[in-house]
Amino acid sequence: MANRIQINKEFIDIMPQDYLDLVDSGTFENPNRGWKDFGTATELIAEHSLCAGCPESIAFRHIMASIPNPEDTVMVGSTGCTSLVFPMIAVHNIHSLFGNQNAIATGLKRALAVRFPDRVKDVIVLAGDGATVDIGLDMTLQSWFRKERFTTICFDNELYANTGGQESGLMQKGFLAKMAPVGKRFEKVRLPEIARESGCDYVAIMTASKPSLVEKVIKQAVLIAREIGPTYVQIYTPCILEIGKQSMEGLQEMRTSEAPGERFKFREFISPEAQSFLDGLAEKKKAEKIAATT
Amino acid sequence: MYNVAEVNAEACVAQKGCRLCIMYCPEANCIQLDSQNMKAIIVESRCKGCELCVVVCDAAKHNAITMVAR
Repeated sequence: MANRIQINKEFIDIMPQDYLDLVDSGTFENPNRGWKDFGTATELIAEHSLCAGCPESIAFRHIMASIPNPEDTVMVGSTGCTSLVFPMIAVHNIHSLFGNQNAIATGLKRALAVRFPDRVKDVIVLAGDGATVDIGLDMTLQSWFRKERFTTICFDNELYANTGGQESGLMQKGFLAKMAPVGKRFEKVRLPEIARESGCDYVAIMTASKPSLVEKVIKQAVLIAREIGPTYVQIYTPCILEIGKQSMEGLQEMRTSEAPGERFKFREFISPEAQSFLDGLAEKKKAEKIAATT
Repeated sequence: MYNVAEVNAEACVAQKGCRLCIMYCPEANCIQLDSQNMKAIIVESRCKGCELCVVVCDAAKHNAITMVAR
């Protein structure tokens, strides 16, 4: 199956340079792809229209560098700032209606299993906190109850950033936003715990401040979703405009929020089946390493 | 006028394995690694001028990136 990503020779003179770069040095069909390819390989994400310094675009970059086989991955997006990036990624993607991204991913995963029975196809849902927790909570939970095998990634910026800063379910208690001047009266929805109880085999909550950790978590989440059951990853991507920060302060904001005792301290839950699967993978890797050195 | 990042090649320590600015730049394919000289280079047409690279470079005391007006 080598060189599945090719370009028709007739098109070489009319395709834009970015496209040719992607065919030439994009990290398709590379099982060892990761954030270490940054700077030397062409990334699977191009010039998008997110704000300067937006932490969400850092997270998006790290995720696009980490997904295990991009050539056989379909991503499902939803309304929000992420929908400004989805047209600019080099992976098949579907823009769903606001909130029904997990329902679409369910149908897609089943259809792909029928259409390509002999190929591994990954489905990844990537949506904001409004789509995952408020508007689409029904679809999100139902897909976990049914143990649908795909990964759900939630970009948690703790409010509706795209429409001016309204209150969302994942907003922290007491937070004042531009369009929520009274302050939130309820606790932040504990979706990671709900995900665990709803049947997810792998749950992680984190920020995007460490590319190596994002890579590890995304790879685990996709591989477990492929073999075991649903997985959920919640990543803090603060909206610097809505919380009143400068463009260069997003990284520090993420690091502050993941300090011990803070609400985004890295936590993960791995079910016993998923753990034994991961142990099997680690052993296999170890054996390959030993075989390569001897 | 528009601010973009500029790398001082003498101060850049990418040859020692530093990839901080490349790792944390929010824009894809914006900061590249010059694999011959092992220095970071900025693709100015993609730079939005957020200064995040300056922050991470200065925090590591390399001080190799400055913002310049274009």
